[in-house]
Amino acid sequence: MTEILKVEQLTKTYGKKGQKQYQALKGISFTVDKGEFVGIMGASGSGKTTLLNILSTMDKPTSGQVFINNQDITALTKNKMSDFRGKEIGFIFQDFNLLENLTNRENIALPLALQNVKARIINDKVEAIASKLGITTILDKYPAEVSGGQKQRVASARALVHNPSILYGDEPTGALDSKSATELLETMSMLNRQDQVSILMVTHDPYSASYADRILFIKDGKIGNELKKGEQSREEFYQEIIAELGRR
Amino acid sequence: MLWKLSLTGIKSRFKDYAVLFSGLTLSASIFYMFLALALNPKFLKDALPIGYQITQVVFGFGIVLLAIITLVYIVYANSFLLSMRKRDYGTYMMLGARNRKIGRLIFSETLVVGLIATLVGILIGVFLAQGISNLLISQLQLVIHHFVGFYLPAVLWTLLFFAILFFLAAIWNRIKLTRSSLIDLLHEDQQPVKLQKNNARLILMAIAGIILLAIGYWAMSAVKLLAETSIPVALVTIVSGSYLVFSSFFTMMINLLRKNANYTFKGLHAFSLGQLKFRIYSYNRILTIVSLLFALALGAITVGLNFNGMTEQNKQTQYYDLIIPGNPKKYQAEIDNLGIEETERIPFKMKGEKVYVSKDEILKKKIKIQYFYVKNAQAHYKTLVLNKKNFDKIDSSDFNQNLPTNYDLPKYVSQKQFQALKGQALVVNVYRISNFERNWKKIAKIQETVIKNSDKQYSGISPKVFNYQAAMLVASGFEFMGFFLGLAFLAMLASTLMFKVLSGANSDRPRYQMLWKVGAQTRLLKQSIAKEIGVLFSLPAILGIVDVLFGLQFFKALLPDPYKNIWIPFVLFLALYLIYYLLTVKLYESIVLKKDK
Repeated sequence: MTEILKVEQLTKTYGKKGQKQYQALKGISFTVDKGEFVGIMGASGSGKTTLLNILSTMDKPTSGQVFINNQDITALTKNKMSDFRGKEIGFIFQDFNLLENLTNRENIALPLALQNVKARIINDKVEAIASKLGITTILDKYPAEVSGGQKQRVASARALVHNPSILYGDEPTGALDSKSATELLETMSMLNRQDQVSILMVTHDPYSASYADRILFIKDGKIGNELKKGEQSREEFYQEIIAELGRR
Repeated sequence: MLWKLSLTGIKSRFKDYAVLFSGLTLSASIFYMFLALALNPKFLKDALPIGYQITQVVFGFGIVLLAIITLVYIVYANSFLLSMRKRDYGTYMMLGARNRKIGRLIFSETLVVGLIATLVGILIGVFLAQGISNLLISQLQLVIHHFVGFYLPAVLWTLLFFAILFFLAAIWNRIKLTRSSLIDLLHEDQQPVKLQKNNARLILMAIAGIILLAIGYWAMSAVKLLAETSIPVALVTIVSGSYLVFSSFFTMMINLLRKNANYTFKGLHAFSLGQLKFRIYSYNRILTIVSLLFALALGAITVGLNFNGMTEQNKQTQYYDLIIPGNPKKYQAEIDNLGIEETERIPFKMKGEKVYVSKDEILKKKIKIQYFYVKNAQAHYKTLVLNKKNFDKIDSSDFNQNLPTNYDLPKYVSQKQFQALKGQALVVNVYRISNFERNWKKIAKIQETVIKNSDKQYSGISPKVFNYQAAMLVASGFEFMGFFLGLAFLAMLASTLMFKVLSGANSDRPRYQMLWKVGAQTRLLKQSIAKEIGVLFSLPAILGIVDVLFGLQFFKALLPDPYKNIWIPFVLFLALYLIYYLLTVKLYESIVLKKDK
C-alpha cells in the first residue's frame, strides 16, 4: 500500500517566545494509505482544527513534517502552497463555503479554472462529477436556491472535480439534517470504494465517524487511541466508537 | 459596559476607522474651504472686481452642487460605517443587549465620529485654504489678494451643515439597526441577484440611453437656441441617459462575457463577473452619479484653465502696447529698454469733449488697428494697416482707445479742415513693444506713472495694459475657482466610489478567504481585485470624459477655444483619479485579504 499522507512529529505552538505560549499540537504522527477513509475524532479544543489547517497548507507547523504524495508540504513557498492546495487537495467544509454569487456550475468549475484548464474539458469534468453526485439538474442554479444537502453535494463536487490526492472533510455533516447527512456519507463511502478516493474526515459525531475504515482519537494535542473497522459492520463499529468515547 | 465594548470595537478596526475618519475630515475641510472662498466678499470683490455679481451666482451654484455631493458622499461613508459595525452590534444583540441600547449606541457613535471629523476638518481647512491658495496663486501666477484662511461665517455654516447631516445619518443608522432582524445583521448580502436576461429590452434601454445622451449633448451646444433651458434640459437627459446606458451596457456586457465559456472558466473570471453582477443595481446608481461628478470636476478644471485663453485674446484687442501723451522724452530711456517694435506720433485736437483727428495724417503714417468682427458667434481680431479703402473700419477697432475719447467716437477730418480747426492741439505717442507678454508688468508700471503725471485732458485714454490687467484679474478668479471646484469634486467623487467599494469589502471577505482555501494564489486574488475595481472606476471615467468633450461646446460663446491644450487638465485629473484608484485597491485588499487568527 502506498502512503498518500504521512505526518511526522507535528507540533504547533501559539504565542511568541517569552510570552504566554500555548501548545495546540504536541508531536503528532500518523499515515493515511491510498484509498483509505480515515476519521479523526476529538473534543473541542483537542487540536483537530489546527491539525487540519496544517494538513491543508493553510497554516504552518512549528516543527515536524507533512508529506502528501511524498511531497513535503511544510517546505513550500506561499504561492506553491496555494497551487498545491488547488491541485492536490479537496476540501469539504461544515458551512459549505460556496460562493453565493456564482452558479453551482461555476462553483464546481473553480478549482479547474484556477489551473487554467480548457473550458471544454472543464465542462466535461463538471458534468461528469455532477452526474455522479446526482446534482446535474441544479447546476445552473445559485447556492441560495438549493437545499443544504444539495449545497454540500455541490461542495463535494467542487472538492473532487480536479481529482485531488486526498479529500479533507471538516465536519462535513455538521450543518445537515440526518437524512442529508446519511446521503452525503454514503456518497463519500461510495467514492472511496469505487474511485479509491483517499479521505481524511474530522468529526466529533460518532455516526459520521462510523463510515471510516479507521479512527484516530486526538486528545490534548496528541494521538490517543486508534480504532479499526476491520471486518465489522458499520453498526458494530458505531457501537465500538460509542464505547471508546464513553471510556474517557 | 456596552460603551466599553463599542470603544474596543473601534480600536480593533482602527485602520478602517482611520479611512472613514480621514474621508469625513476631507469632505468637511473641502466644504469649509469653498465656503471661506464663496462667502468672503472681500476676497471676491478684490479678485473679481468686474464680474462680482455673476461670480456670486456661480459660487452660489457651486455651493449647492458641493452640498449635494457632500450629501451623497456622507450617505456612502455612512453605509461604510454601518457595514463595519453591523456584525459587532449584531453580536451584542445576540448576547442580549437591548434594542434601544444598541440604537443609542450607534446614534452616538455616528454623531461623535461625524462631529469630531468635522471639527478636525475645519481646522485643517483653515490651514489648507491658506496654503493651497498661496500655492495656486504662485503656481498659476494669479493675482489674488486678501485671502485669509480663517473666516468665521464659513466655520459656522460648515459646522451647521455637517451637524445636520450627521444627525440625519445617526437617526438613519439607528432605525436601520433597530428595525432589521438579528439574522439580517449577521448574514447580509447573501441573496443572489437575477440578471435581466431579456436582450431585446436591454438593447431598447441602451438605444434610449444613447438618444437621451445625444439630446443632452446637443442641448449643451445649442445654447443660442435654447438659452436658459439649455442647462436643465441637458441635466435631465444626461442623468437619465447615463443611468440607462450604465444599466443596459453593464448588464449586457456581463451577460455576454458569462456566455463565453472560454472566458468565464479562466482563473477568477467567473468570480469577478459574479462580484460585479451581484451588486449591479446599486452600482448603476453610483456609477451614474460618479460619471456626472467626474464630468463636472474635469469640466471645471478644463474651463478654469481655459480662462487663460481669455487673457490671450485680450492681448489682441489693442495693437499698441503703450500710450504716452505729450512729449515722451522723459520716459525715452525706459521705453527703449523694453525694446520698441514700432512707434507713431498721433496729433489730434480737442474742442470741449470732442476729439478731431486728421485722416490724411493717419493714412500717411500707415497706422495699424485691430479690427473686431464676429464670426460663428465668436469674437475675432485682425490687424489692418489703414488705407483709403478700409478706413471706415476704424470705428469698429481699437484706435479710439489711444485717444481721450470719453463718450463720442473721434471725428476724422481732412488735413485742411484739421489745420483750420480751433481747439487745443494735443498729441499721443503710441508704441508697439517687442514682447508684450514678457514685459507687461514693466509696461504697466511705466503706463501708471505716465498717466499719473500727464495733463487731465488725457484722462480718457484707455491703455492696453490696464485692460489686460483687469482681464487677468477676472481670469485668475475663474481659474482659481475652476481649479478649486474641480479638485474638490474629484476628491469627493473618488472617495464616494471608494467608500461604496469598501463598504462591500466586509461582506466580501469570506468569499476571498474561501477562494484562498480552494487554492487561489494571493497574487491571483489581487489581480482579480484590481480588475474588478478597475472596471468600476473606468466606466464612469469614460462616460465622464465623453460628457466633458461635448459639454465644452457650452463654453464656446464665452471662451475663444475651449478645447485648447485640453490634454493638460485631462492628464492632471486622470493622474489624481488613478491615485484614488490605487488607494482603493490597497485598502480593499487590506480588508479582504486579512487572515483570520
